[in-house]
Amino acid sequence: MIAPRFVPFVLKQVIRHPLRTILTVGGVATAMFLFVAVQAMQRGVHAATVEEAEDTTLVVYREDRFCPFTSRLPQYYMDQIERIDGVRTVTPMKVVVNNCRTSLDVVTFRGVHVASFIEQHASQLRVIDGSTAQWEHRSDAALLGETLARRRGLNVGDRFDAAGVTSYVAGIVQSTEPQVENAAYVHLDFLQQATDRTLGIVTQFNVKVNEPSQLDAVAAAIDDLFHTAEAPTTTRSEKAFVSHVATDMIELIESTRWLGYGCLAAVLALVGNAIVLSAQDRIKEHAILQTLGYKGGLIGRLIISEAIVVTLMGGTVGSTVAMTIIHWTRLSMSADGLSIPIEANPFLFLVGLLIAAALGIVAGLVPAWQAMRRPIAHCFRAL
Amino acid sequence: MTMIQCQNLTKIYTKGMGEIRPLDGLDLEVHSGQFLALMGPSGSGKTTLLNLIAGIDLPTSGSLIIDGQDVSTLSRHQLAEWRSQYIGYIFQLYNLVPVLTAYENVELPLLLHPMTRRQRQERVAASLELVGIADRHDHYPRQLSGGQEQRVAIARAIVTDPKIIVADEPTGDLDKPSAHNVMELLQKINRELGTTMIMVTHDPGTSRYAQKTLHLDKGQLVTLDDQEAPA
Repeated sequence: MIAPRFVPFVLKQVIRHPLRTILTVGGVATAMFLFVAVQAMQRGVHAATVEEAEDTTLVVYREDRFCPFTSRLPQYYMDQIERIDGVRTVTPMKVVVNNCRTSLDVVTFRGVHVASFIEQHASQLRVIDGSTAQWEHRSDAALLGETLARRRGLNVGDRFDAAGVTSYVAGIVQSTEPQVENAAYVHLDFLQQATDRTLGIVTQFNVKVNEPSQLDAVAAAIDDLFHTAEAPTTTRSEKAFVSHVATDMIELIESTRWLGYGCLAAVLALVGNAIVLSAQDRIKEHAILQTLGYKGGLIGRLIISEAIVVTLMGGTVGSTVAMTIIHWTRLSMSADGLSIPIEANPFLFLVGLLIAAALGIVAGLVPAWQAMRRPIAHCFRAL
Repeated sequence: MTMIQCQNLTKIYTKGMGEIRPLDGLDLEVHSGQFLALMGPSGSGKTTLLNLIAGIDLPTSGSLIIDGQDVSTLSRHQLAEWRSQYIGYIFQLYNLVPVLTAYENVELPLLLHPMTRRQRQERVAASLELVGIADRHDHYPRQLSGGQEQRVAIARAIVTDPKIIVADEPTGDLDKPSAHNVMELLQKINRELGTTMIMVTHDPGTSRYAQKTLHLDKGQLVTLDDQEAPA
């Protein structure tokens, strides 16, 4: 946009007007912080609910139930589901949460058959502390997702108590699956006895199918099978299940996108105002540059470059602070035992910077155009 | 050799329903290396003529040929490029960029020319040395006196080695000793570098440093005095 030899001139204009720059950068940083935070929530919804071509997991839930406390399915369904064509594995799961409401810090216990869980999820889990062997051998042991462990400050060897369940941290795992990252996996029978003292009842079955293309057919077959049973089922893909059960929370999060757009509008107005005022203050300076032989187009590009530098500085500060807070707090929004992670990654940071730069260009266009078109003689006469 | 040739040069501004003619059919010839002073009452057309010669305004009619080129036919874009090569402009109020140091102000016109950073450094250093302000190269305009600011402005005007320097009342804002020093400097540049110099002034004392003084009134040439400049 401008030759490299003009870059120091632009930077000096920004740095040597410190008060104007600090105030503008501060405003941009605040707005970009909010924008990145909102985008992080939106990305969490996307990660938790948008189905991908390779998804092969179904969730079998009690028909017309949305809360883990009311979805009660007989555990013996497992054998019948396993016999359906296309089913690879079935994991009965008891889900217990410490808080039924929507919250940023919900502890979700998932009771599973430990051996089959390890067998089925080995490829998706990375143990970062402790071991699955210890989890397997100790009946009250829990395997914690890293997000939950960090949020609660838990380490291997700690005992922790939530939802009336006291367990021992045997391992901490990382996973690409948001639901795994936010849960504490314990032995199924331990959780059944620790909560309602009833063996043989689970909250849901997680069913893996052989091919992604079989998801719909297998789901229909499962629901048909239990259509007239004591506890009819509704079976959906895992992502569809999350988006269905957590509908209210997802709608709320998605509505925050307007807040994000508002932040961008605020940046545009703020930087536009700062650059217009700056350009008006410097009519004489631009006239001097033109007298020296600077063309109108170059002066316009210098103004736009200054706007880009300011928005990039604000974007960098705001995005970095937002990313740091999101990374360290590891917050996720949970409802009914399902988690929507607040996700921030380098791509989001890059998007934040690109949007900031684009806003700088847009904000600088009008003052740049005015400065380009202003005849030198008029500038000097106007002073 | 003729450097500037004006023929029937006219500038008309419209104001409301009427029109103002700051220049009205002016004929003038300035030779290369000449030092010309423009004098006359306010509104006589001095600054308008200066701006036309500097290429920052265009005549309404007539021709303005500078170094063989009719600049009245150039577009805004072409004029900007032409200015960067031919003109050094000295303002009454110095007009330095306040956030840049003396060095950086002098470097500004060189950024338009294809040269390395080292070449720019050498040119800026030589210009600051010539105007006697090299020791203040890292000072901001607010840290300099009026005379020193004007010296920096002169260094900025000569750093590209232009063929013509135009000066709009260069001593108008200076005390007598500073004005004397600045005029001696301009005279030195005119003599040593052979740069054609056109200066607007109200002060007869200042005009004596020029080789010729052109008196204007109502946009027309009144008299043209040859004089011997002070040594």
